[in-house]
Amino acid sequence: MQSRWDIGEPEKPTINKDTEQLKSELLTLNMGPQHPATHGVLRIEIWTDSEIVAHAIPHLGYLHRCMEKHAENLDYRGVIPFVDRLDYLAAMNMEWTYVAAVEKMLGTEVPRRGELIRIMTAELQRIASHLMAFGTYALDLGAFSPFLYAFEEREKILRLFEEVSGARLLYNYIWIGGVWNDWTDEQLARVSAFCDTMEEEAKKYNELVSMNKIFVQRTANVGVFTLQDCFDYGATGPVLRGSGMKWDLRKNAPYSLYSEFDFDVPVGEAELGQVGDCWNRYYVRMKEVIQSIKIIRQVLEKLEPGSVMGKVPKVIKLPKGEVYMRHECPRGELGIHLVSEGDSKQPYRLKVKSPCFTHTSMLPRIAPGQMIADFVASVGSIDIVLGEVDR
Amino acid sequence: MLNVDVNKLAELINKNISGANATVSIPEDTKKCDSSITVEVSKIYSVVEFLKTNKEMPFNSLQVISGVDWVEWMEVCYMMAHFDLQNPREFILKVKVTDRVNPSVDSIVKLYAAANFQEREVYDMFGIRFNNHPDHRRILCPDDWQGFPLRKDYVAQKDYNGMSVYPDGKMNFEDREFIVRQDMIKKAQESKAQ
Repeated sequence: MQSRWDIGEPEKPTINKDTEQLKSELLTLNMGPQHPATHGVLRIEIWTDSEIVAHAIPHLGYLHRCMEKHAENLDYRGVIPFVDRLDYLAAMNMEWTYVAAVEKMLGTEVPRRGELIRIMTAELQRIASHLMAFGTYALDLGAFSPFLYAFEEREKILRLFEEVSGARLLYNYIWIGGVWNDWTDEQLARVSAFCDTMEEEAKKYNELVSMNKIFVQRTANVGVFTLQDCFDYGATGPVLRGSGMKWDLRKNAPYSLYSEFDFDVPVGEAELGQVGDCWNRYYVRMKEVIQSIKIIRQVLEKLEPGSVMGKVPKVIKLPKGEVYMRHECPRGELGIHLVSEGDSKQPYRLKVKSPCFTHTSMLPRIAPGQMIADFVASVGSIDIVLGEVDR
Repeated sequence: MLNVDVNKLAELINKNISGANATVSIPEDTKKCDSSITVEVSKIYSVVEFLKTNKEMPFNSLQVISGVDWVEWMEVCYMMAHFDLQNPREFILKVKVTDRVNPSVDSIVKLYAAANFQEREVYDMFGIRFNNHPDHRRILCPDDWQGFPLRKDYVAQKDYNGMSVYPDGKMNFEDREFIVRQDMIKKAQESKAQ
C-alpha cells in the first residue's frame, strides 16, 4: 500500500554539544501515579536529560488487591466476579479464560448455542475495548473528540451487555458450563445493526485519526519494538502483531469454535511508519475491529435455538492436577494457571498471566533516547489496564 | 495447552545437561490436566539455556513464572512457549525448592528479559530469592511489607506504618475469606523446625 503522506525519516533527538557540557546530572521526574497518560495508577520514574528520557523505571502495585490470594479462599464459581475485575475493560474475555480452564479440568460440554454466544460476546467486548483504546490513545496525544466518537459506539455494546447480564462493566455473565442468559431475537437484530454502523464508523475513525497528519507524526517511527524484543519479553496480542508476527491464538491454536470461522489476522504492515512502532500497534487494533465484526456476522448466521447452559454438578470439585489455559484477549494472551489439590471446593492456586504486566516490563526497553512526549505516546500505544497489571 | 512430547523433551534435557534429572509428571487424565517436567533446582539456568538455544526443540519465549506453595516444598513453574507459525509449542517446566527459610533459585534474566518482572513477583509473593537478579525488589507489595502473601502459612501483619491492616468493626471475620488455613500453618511450622 502506498503511503498517504511521505513523512520520511524521523528526526533523531540530538544533544546539543554546547549544552551537554553544562549538564551535571540527570533529573528525576515522576510520571504518575495520577498522570492522565498512565491510564490509571501507574508511576513511572523517569530520569531525564533535558527533554530526553535516559531511563524509565515502572513502579507497580498501586491497584494491587491480591486476587490470587482471595481466589484460594473462594469456591470455583465465586472466583468469576474477581476475575472480572482484572481487566475491567474486557471483563467478558477475562471470565471466559478462567471458566475455560475450570471447564477443561471438569470435562464439561458446553452447548453449541452457548459457545457461539460466548464468541459473540467476546468479540463485542473486543470491539468495545479497542474503541476505548482508540479513544484514550487519541486523548493521550491531545485530540479530545475521538474519545466522544468512540464512546458513542461503545455505549451501544454496553447497553446490550447491560440487558443480558444486568451490569455495564463487570458482568459475571459467562458461567461454568455456558452463559447465564440467552439473547433474544430483538437483541440479536440490534447486534446485526450495530455491525453495519460500526463498519462505517471504523472508516470514519481512520479518516479522522489514523491517517491524520499530526497523529501520524506523533506515532509513526516512535517506540519501535523489534520482533526479537517481543520474544525476549514474551509480548503477545497487538504488540506482537504490530511487530509483524502473524500470531493469533484464535487462528494458530484454535480454542472453542474459532476453527469454524473465517477471519484474517491483521499484522503491522508499515502502511505508514515502520513495523513495530506505535502507529502500527495502534492500526492493528483498528483492523482487528473489522475482523471482529466479520466473526460476529458469522455467529449470527450460525445461531440456532437451543440451550445455553450445559450440565454442571452443583458442587464443583476438580481432580488433582494443574492446567495452563491461554486465550486471546484484546490486550494480549491471558494465561490462567489453575492448580487443584483434588477433592476441594476451592482452587489451590490461581495464577494469572497478565499481558499488560508483560508489556509494562517492556517500557524500560524503549524509553532511553526518546523525548518525554514520545514516551507518553509509547505508553499509550501498548494500551495497559492497571487492574490487570497489579491484579 | 499446545502439545509437546514431554517424554522426548525430558530425554533431550537429560542427554545434554548432566545432573538435570528431568522427570516427567503425566496426569491420570491427559485431556483434563497438563503434564510437566521437573528438573533439579541447581541446574535451572543451564536447562533453560539449553531450551532456548537447542536446534531440535527451541523455545523462543518465556510466558510467565508462577509459584505454588505445597507446604513441604515450593514449586516455581516456568511456562515456556515457542511462537512459530508452523510448530507452536508450550510446556510447563518446574523446579522444587524445599528450603522454606532461605529459598533461592538461579535467575534466568540473562536468557529471557521477561523473567525480570516475573521473578520479582515470585519473590514478592513467595519469598523465593533469585540469585544474580539485576533488580531484586518487591514489585506489587510495598517495599517494607512483611511476609509473603501467597504462602499458605501467611498471616497479614496487624499494623503497617501506623495504619491498622484489618480495622476492628470493619471486617467480617466470619467470612470464610479470613479463615486462615491453620492446618497449613502447623504443617509449615513443623517443616521449619526440622
